[in-house]
Amino acid sequence: MPIIQVTGLEKHFGPLHVLKDVSLSVEPREVVCIIGRSGSGKSTLLRCINFLEQPTQGRIEVDELVVNVDQHRLTDKQRLVIRHIRLRTGMVFQEFNLFPHLNVIENLIEAPMVVKEMKREAAIPLAEKYLAKVGLTHKRDEYPARLSGGQKQRVAIARALTMQPEVMLFDEPTSALDPELIGEVLDVMKELARDGTTMLVVTHEMAFAREVADRVVYMDEGQIVEVGPPEQIFATPHDPRTRQFLERILRTAPSGD
Amino acid sequence: MEATPALGGASQAQLILKQQERAQRVFSVQVVISWAILLAVLVFIFSGVRIQIGPIDVQTIQLDSDFINRAAPVISQGALQTLVISAASILCASVLALLTALGRLSHIAPIYALSTFYVSLIRGTPLLLQIFFFFLALPRLGIILSGTVAGVTALSLNYGAYMSEIFRAGIQSVGKGQREAALALGMTQSQMMRRIVLPQALRVVVPPTGNEFIAMLKDSSLASTTGFVRELMWLGQNLGRREFRSLEALIVIALWYWGMTIVFSALQSRLERRTARGER
Repeated sequence: MPIIQVTGLEKHFGPLHVLKDVSLSVEPREVVCIIGRSGSGKSTLLRCINFLEQPTQGRIEVDELVVNVDQHRLTDKQRLVIRHIRLRTGMVFQEFNLFPHLNVIENLIEAPMVVKEMKREAAIPLAEKYLAKVGLTHKRDEYPARLSGGQKQRVAIARALTMQPEVMLFDEPTSALDPELIGEVLDVMKELARDGTTMLVVTHEMAFAREVADRVVYMDEGQIVEVGPPEQIFATPHDPRTRQFLERILRTAPSGD
Repeated sequence: MEATPALGGASQAQLILKQQERAQRVFSVQVVISWAILLAVLVFIFSGVRIQIGPIDVQTIQLDSDFINRAAPVISQGALQTLVISAASILCASVLALLTALGRLSHIAPIYALSTFYVSLIRGTPLLLQIFFFFLALPRLGIILSGTVAGVTALSLNYGAYMSEIFRAGIQSVGKGQREAALALGMTQSQMMRRIVLPQALRVVVPPTGNEFIAMLKDSSLASTTGFVRELMWLGQNLGRREFRSLEALIVIALWYWGMTIVFSALQSRLERRTARGER
């Protein structure tokens, strides 16, 4: 039983047709990496799953919660389902999006307290557990402005984990980072993968995808071109578009792991 | 720069920094001295001294210090009233401004229309008219407001309209990413507003609201035109006219307004520094 099941997803931005009949599923404990050129629709696909982007059409199922989108406006009932989908998906953004007016621990306990109505005394140990997991216990009382990019992203991961989601969505989590800070974030993500966290990752880090992913999805022009295990995708891509993309990206950025 | 012997990069930078600091200090001292001179000139103009040097014969303005001594304590009682009116008005105005700003950002047409209509109407008419309106027009409807209440009502509505733009800018200054992060964590629209957007907007809104309060301190004098508000302006003017000492009365009033403005400006900049906590 897949934890995420996307079926026949369509997305238009005005005249732009960004997603064309996209279907994808993610099994529990699976790590799926989505790769592709910028503008291929991979981030939009991810953002449609928790409805930060409203699909034009299609079916989204997360942990047995289903939203069927047609041309009509969302009903109140659908909005409620969407909120429950968001509770079961943790999202990590390219730009971190930590709350700058709250310190690190407050960033982590905010949603559990506000959304899940958890008591502060219950939320704090939980938050501390995940803060330790990303190795930032010593930054507990800092404000985000005083953290490096890599630290911010690790806090953002801990913030998402503190909501104890069923699946984690990563939207190019290392693209806004200085090269020397990328490693610490990828290390945290690798550890999550080892622990069996279900992850859907949009990334440009080919070495990470090759090492960690169970399946790699290649997208181009709003369509899923090819899906397969990393060994196959990276070594013997079936589709010429995938081959071309990988040749170019691996030539410019040699995968040094 | 003089021919400095081969200095390390760090000490060179320190040297430049020190020079800049020194230049900044010199500038500050010069500003303070200039202020003192300007103040002295102002005091001199009202000192009543007569200066005769050759063909120059200057008589400065002579003030009735006896009247000032008697009137100042009475006029000063108006300062409290001025503060109360301004504080009450800025509070109401802030609430109105927030609601109006949210209305401006609403996708529901009637709510958007209501807030733009309100802002347009208030900004399109003079504050003085609005004060008179609440004092003189409403009694026709059987609503009789005291001068003070009419003043506070008019000031609140007026400043609320102007300040709604400040609040709107504050709310819009909170990035899309913040909203998305809040929503992705499962927050509802109103939780997102209350917990994430407004606290950050507040930081942007506080300094200009301080400015509005300082402007309000002075605009509250317009409430005196209803003739029944015993604030600074009304008390001072009345006393001055009665004894033909309006100039002296006005000077006392001016000193009060000026003094309050200076104090609140200082408070505002302190508040500004405190709310900047966690700023990038």
